Parts: sequence; C-alpha cells; structure tokens
Amino acid sequence: MARYAMVIDTRSCIGCHSCTVACRVHNNLPVDMIYNPVTTVGPTGVYPNLHMAHIPLLCMHCEQTPCVNSCPTGASQRREDGIVWIEESKCVGCKTCVMVCPYGARVSNHEKGTVQKCDFCFDRVDKGSIPRCVQSCHQKARIFGDLDDETSEVFKLVNGEHAVRLLDDLGTEPYVFYIYGLEG
Amino acid sequence: MNRNVDLEQEGIEIKKSCCYFCHENCGVLAYVKDGKVIAIEGDPEFPTNAGGLCCRGNIALKHIDHPARINYPQKRVGKKGEGKWETISWDQALSEIAAKLTQIKDESGAEAVATAGGTARTDDWARRRFMNLFGSPNGFHNAHLCWMPTFMIETAICGWSPFDLDMGNSRVIILWGQNPGASGMPAMHHLTELQRKGLKIVVIDPRYTETAAKADLWLPLRPGSDCALALAMLHVIIYEGLADDAFIAENCVGYEELATHVADFSPEWAAPLTWLTEEQIREVATIYATNKPGNIQWGTTLDQQGRTAGGAIHARALLRAVTGNLDRIGSDLLSGPSLDSITEEEMECNEYLTDEQKAKQIGSDRFKLMTWPGYSKIAENTRKVWGKAPTAEWMCEAHPPSVFNAILTGKPYSVRALLVSATNPVNSYGNSKVVLEALRKVEFMVTCDYWMTPTAALSDYVLPIAGALERPTMTTVYGCADFILASQRAIQPMYERRNDYNFWKDLGIQLGQKEMWPWETVEDAYHYKLEPCGYGLDTYDEFVEFYRFHFPEREYNKSQRQGFATPSGKIELYSSVLKDLGYSPLPEYVGPVENEIDHPELAKEYPLVLSTGNGFMPFHHSEQFQIKDLRYLRHEPYFQINPVTAAEYSIKEDDWVWIETQRGRMKQKADLTQAVAPRVIITQRGWWFPEREVVEPDLGGCLESNTNVLTSTRDEDCDPMSGTWANRGLLCKIYKVTATDEKGGN
Repeated sequence: MARYAMVIDTRSCIGCHSCTVACRVHNNLPVDMIYNPVTTVGPTGVYPNLHMAHIPLLCMHCEQTPCVNSCPTGASQRREDGIVWIEESKCVGCKTCVMVCPYGARVSNHEKGTVQKCDFCFDRVDKGSIPRCVQSCHQKARIFGDLDDETSEVFKLVNGEHAVRLLDDLGTEPYVFYIYGLEG
Repeated sequence: MNRNVDLEQEGIEIKKSCCYFCHENCGVLAYVKDGKVIAIEGDPEFPTNAGGLCCRGNIALKHIDHPARINYPQKRVGKKGEGKWETISWDQALSEIAAKLTQIKDESGAEAVATAGGTARTDDWARRRFMNLFGSPNGFHNAHLCWMPTFMIETAICGWSPFDLDMGNSRVIILWGQNPGASGMPAMHHLTELQRKGLKIVVIDPRYTETAAKADLWLPLRPGSDCALALAMLHVIIYEGLADDAFIAENCVGYEELATHVADFSPEWAAPLTWLTEEQIREVATIYATNKPGNIQWGTTLDQQGRTAGGAIHARALLRAVTGNLDRIGSDLLSGPSLDSITEEEMECNEYLTDEQKAKQIGSDRFKLMTWPGYSKIAENTRKVWGKAPTAEWMCEAHPPSVFNAILTGKPYSVRALLVSATNPVNSYGNSKVVLEALRKVEFMVTCDYWMTPTAALSDYVLPIAGALERPTMTTVYGCADFILASQRAIQPMYERRNDYNFWKDLGIQLGQKEMWPWETVEDAYHYKLEPCGYGLDTYDEFVEFYRFHFPEREYNKSQRQGFATPSGKIELYSSVLKDLGYSPLPEYVGPVENEIDHPELAKEYPLVLSTGNGFMPFHHSEQFQIKDLRYLRHEPYFQINPVTAAEYSIKEDDWVWIETQRGRMKQKADLTQAVAPRVIITQRGWWFPEREVVEPDLGGCLESNTNVLTSTRDEDCDPMSGTWANRGLLCKIYKVTATDEKGGN
C-alpha cells in the first residue's frame, strides 16, 4: 500500500496561483471557496534589501487527524494510503472539523451545506495520475508521490533535503512537506 | 478538467491543441467528444510548458462558452456606442463592409483604410496580405511596445536579432526589464532549472518582481534609466580591459568610434542617473563580460520607453558584441528566418504594394526604422545573407499614434476606416483619451473580437472570432524564428465564430482578391507553409499529430560561414544602416522622457516617477477581466507605492488614489509595498470593467483606471528611430480620491 505525500519546494514557487485556479476548475468550486491558497510573505525588509516567499497551503493529509477524530458522522475519513477525504453524503455541515483543523484547510460550501477540502485528487491518483495542482505547476514546485517507495522523488526529497512539516509540534504528522530556500 | 467528467468513456478524442491566452502558446491536450471539448490539461510532451499551465491556461473551458462571448455577427443599429445591435449573417456583414471599403477607396484612396492589431495571436500575415492587395500601407499593432524596436535595431547592426538564447550552455543571463515569473511561465521554469545547475541570473528591474526575488543579483534601477546603465556598462567593459579583443577584431567594425563615443559614460556619470552605485554598475558589467558565455534576454521594457528607447536598445545590443557573447556556443544566437519553411513574410504579398502606396505609410516620414524606408534597407541586407527578410507585419508598420491623429485631424490625410482585430485600443494604445476620441470619430469601424470591448462597442460591425481550442496555431515568434511549434484546433468554431484568417480571406474575396486566396482553411495555408520542410504529409493536422514541432539543428558560429547581414558583412558597432537613415550610428544618451534633471519645472508639479505597462498575473493585457475564476485573484486595479511615500501623502493600504500626468488622470487602489523605491509609482495595465454596461459615455469604465491615460505619444516623446511611445520613465502626481471626486476617468 502506498503512502501518498506531497513536497512543496518553495524555492521554486513564484506565487502565480496556477495551482489554485487548476484546483478550482477541477473541483468545480464556487468563487468564494478555495482548497489551496498561496500565501505570499513579503516583500519583507526595506527597499532594495528584500525577501519574499510564497507558501502554498492545502490539506496536510495528517497521520494524526483531529478532523477525522472529531467528525460526528464518519464523513471525514482517512484511507489506508493516507488520503484524508470527506464522504459528502455523510457530511451534515456541522463544521466541527473546520474548527479543529490547525491548518485552516477545510472550507464550507454554502451552496451544498457541506464541508469540502483537498483530497489529493484521488479521482486522478487512483487512475495512476497525479493531482491537478501538481500537473499544472509550471515551476514543478509541487512534487507528489509514494513516500513508501524509496525510488520516488518525494522519498528522496523528504529524506535528502531539509523538508519540514508545518506546525510540527502539534503532533499531527502531516504528509505535506515544505522545502525552504535562503530567501524564505 | 473537471473531476466529474469521465475521461475513460467511449468516443473521446485527444487533440494536440494549445493555450491562446498569451503568445507562449503552451501545449494543451483537449479531450473532445461529439464536437465539444469536455476537458483540457497541459501537454506533458510539449517542449516549452511540459504539462504546466498558468492560471489563464486553466480556465479555457470557462472562456470557450462564456455567456458574454460574441457568437454572431453584429451590426450597429443605434447611435455609435449606444449598444443597439442587429444580428446578421457573415455574408451580409462581409458584403456590406466590402462595399463601404470600396467606396472609401474610390473616394479617398486605399490608404484611408487602416487596421489595428494587438499581440501575435492572430494570423496576421493574412491581415498584411489583405492590406497589401487592397493597397493600403496603414496596418499597425502595439508592435512598437513589444520587441519590434529591439528586433529592428539589432538586425540593423548585426544582421538578425540574436533572440535565440543558448541558455543550456551559458553561465550567466541578464533578464533586462523582463519578469518571466509573471509573464513567461515556461521560460521561468527553464531558468529555475538551469539556476539549480549553476546558471547565474541577473535581473535589471526597478521593481522587486517575482523574478527579481529569485535572482542571484538584482539591479534596482530608476525607471527609464536603462540607456545610462547600458552606456556605462559599455564604458566599463571597454575601458577596464573586459572587452573580447579577438572577437571584436574578427567580427566587428567601428570599435574605435564606439570606444571614443562611450569615453565619458563612466559609472560615476551613470550612478546618479540610474540611482545605482558605481560599484553596482561595475559589478554587473564585470559579471556579464567575464562569466562567458552569457545571455541578455530582451524584455519589452526598453521598447516602451519612448524617446530614450532607441539609444537604450542600441547600447544594450552592443554589449553582446564587445564581449563576444554573440553567435558563439552558450551566447545569444542568430537563428535567422526559417530556411526550411515558407515564412510569414513570404505569405504577405509585400511586392504587391506599390512604391507609391508604401510612401504614404503614416509616420514613415519621421520614424524610419520600423516603416518602409528602414525596413526596405534592412530587408535588403538580410536577403543577401539569409535569402529571406523579417516579417513586414510587425516590423514595418504605420505609426499608431499618428494614425489616430490622422483620424482626428485629417493630416497628413484623412483616415476614414479602421479594421480592428484582436485588440482593444482604448486600453492598450498610448494616450487613451486621444485614442478614444479617434475611435468615436472614425467614420467606419469593424472589430473582430471575442467580447464586446469598449472598442467593439464603438464599432459599426462586430464579428465573432474563434478563440483558444477553436483554431490551429503555428508558433513562429512573429515569423522570425527558424523553428515551428504546431498545434491543432480541438473543435470547429462554435456558433458562427470564425478564424481571423477567414475574415481577411473572405473580405479579400469580396474585394476581388479571389485568386490570391487559394487556401480554403487556415490549416491548408499552414500545410503550404510547411511543405518545403519535406515531411511528405498530406495535411497540417498530420504534422501536429506525428511531429508537433520542427527544430533545425542548432548551428554555432554561423557568421564564420556567411558573415553578418549588414552592409559591411560585420557587426557594425558604428552602424551604417542607422546613419544612412539619418540617425546616430552610435547609441546616444537620452534621459527618461520626463525627469527631474532635464525638466525641473515639470518635476515640481509632477514630483513622482511613473512606470506603466508591467504584466501581472492572472491577466494578459486588457483581457480576461470577465472570467470570475481569474478575477477573484485580482478584483480591482492596484498601483504599487512605497510606504514612505504613501505616508507623505497620508495614503493607506487600499485607498483609491488619483494618478495624474500631463495627459490626464486615472485611479487605482494603493498597494503599499517595499517592492518599489520611494518616489516611484508603478501602475497595473489594461483595466476596464466588463461587468458594467459597455455603452457610451462610460464604455465599461474604459478610462477610469486605465493606465494608458497617463502615457505619452507626442512626437517629441517618441523614439525618433522606431516611433515607440512612452509608457515608462514619466513623471506624475498623486492625490486621494474623495467622496466628491470619485467619478470618471479624466
């Protein structure tokens, strides 16, 4: 069984928002919803001594899942391959998961009355493809793969670079990893 | 690609198409069923984008059947700009347009019909073919703002523009006024990959851009001071022992004259003009001259600087020659025209336009480089060496501001009809208030577009044009590269949309040009262009399916075999071509069009430095404001201002602010950012508001936040060689919009 993970190489990200638009189109999202915002930090400093970094955010597909644990209906689930997803027909829109997610990765769909979020495009992944945001990224700043596969690029990056997890001290064990450059 | 669409269902065909929302033409795979595109994704096998798509590329299916698209020919029935239209057939539209053009030609001569274009996202060899056969020399684009002055000056001095950068073998690249991080995603990706392997990236830009943030060295110069920087770099290279003497001796003429000419352009001289330190200027010159081979990537910035553009472009071009970074492995290569295929110039029928008509080209009496006088001279040189000439469309055009003036003043003669294709001049040409006045006044106007733009709204006829996925595309870098990227249409045009090619062809046939248009479809014409390549195929679509691109083998040191396509056969550091046209053979220093040193009185009233025209995601020029899935990213227009300057004017984040030059004022919201220097204002381009009614007098707020209200097209502000006008290096003042002062754009 695979253990899916994503590495985000912020050294390459230029903040173009291609991933957010690709995701929006793929998931047919209303204009006020977004799964994977890109936050830009900076420019910080004083002209012309500046730094800027772009941090794409999304569901972290945690190993320890406060969202799944708190879901009263069983709609929020984690698959064996690590993908955390929401079974829409079971979601009653109580937003408990929205409140417990430390990454702000879950959003309410006011049209449907349910909560939605990134599910690593498992519709594509299950057919051997990669998530839409990963394919769309010109900069190849998003790398997706199986962390259990020692030949995979994500394995090499997570184990070979200084890949970090966001809010690591919470113990949620995200499977989205970030690589920062000096400019970050 | 929507996740609810089943891509494994039966009957799906995958077409090798391309994106059409800027001129990168990234490869796209289109999933087609029953004549409809049901999904798209980036083509992983396409050589430039390798599967990637930017924001715009991803919304193709929102664009293709957007409710605001124009789908049927429209004829004006109310007053001009009133918004009353009648849907008519193409046959009726074309025959009525042809009748009116015939009448104008009979009464006032063919030159009374002009045509305005936008970027290279049309088959404009067909436009040129039509205009040449019709007999008018007055076609134009925003070519002046986008590379063509660079192309022509470089071709004048070294026989072709060396725009083919051999980056894979290079050690350093200067991105001069270019921000691929927002405007050229495939290029940015390749730069990032090469940077990881050791390529050093130098960015010259007043703005801390997406690209500057990734650079190894960023030179934050004063907007519009590139000419001073380039001259000082030449000085450092020549006087500090960094020139490539062997290369110069073998390949160049005029070195002594150049050395004498730049003797006084020292870093000490340039530092106060550029706001850089002497050390920064020495550093960039040294890095480029000593880390060979190296590249200089053109950006449109220098082309957009008006009067100072020619000198800046000229000086920048000479940097390659004095360092030997030209035509050698790893440097900037002379691809030359396509020798394997039929070029766009060869499709244009330029020989059908009489010398008498060529002489009437508006602006050619003053701005000779990009009009028939200069183009003819340069084309004669390139033909001798390459056997072919640069595309005349783009490189040899009427001077746009002069055409708009001709409409208004009748001088040098009256221009009565304007055929507009793929452009919205109100927002994209300089000095918008004058352009708008001209469009309101012109006797007869036809617009080919996707949308009811402010320009279309003022037209007599608006014709529905096929867009991305509905048209094939042959990417050739304005017909001036030796390679070809080919994409096919995914579907036939929806509703009654047609290709721009069909508009020119069908209009030509109405006007008696039938035997000159042997190609029924644009694919037939592309096939004809490709036939000499020798693939032995029956159709253009087969080429796309089996080959997709044509790259001739890269040849270094071409000049050793054939010389340079100049009168002397050498790189002319002292340019005989420019001299013969009446211009300085050496790059002259010209200050920014408006600046505090040359114009101290003006600077008292307009104390801030203004730069306009920069590209920004997710929009391209004045397009895509209709698409909600993009607009949510940038809902309103913003200009950049340093917090220190903002504090002086009590301007806070998100305040609406008037920005005013001698030409007029427009308003955008304040983005307080350290990305720009104090005293510098950088505005967003293109803005109009399609969500409003696009009728007179507001016309979708086409002047309200339109940065081109601020730009200058006065003859004395234009580059004397190319005629390009001034988007950058201007002076402005700012003041907050108040409750009593919020309406209108001027």
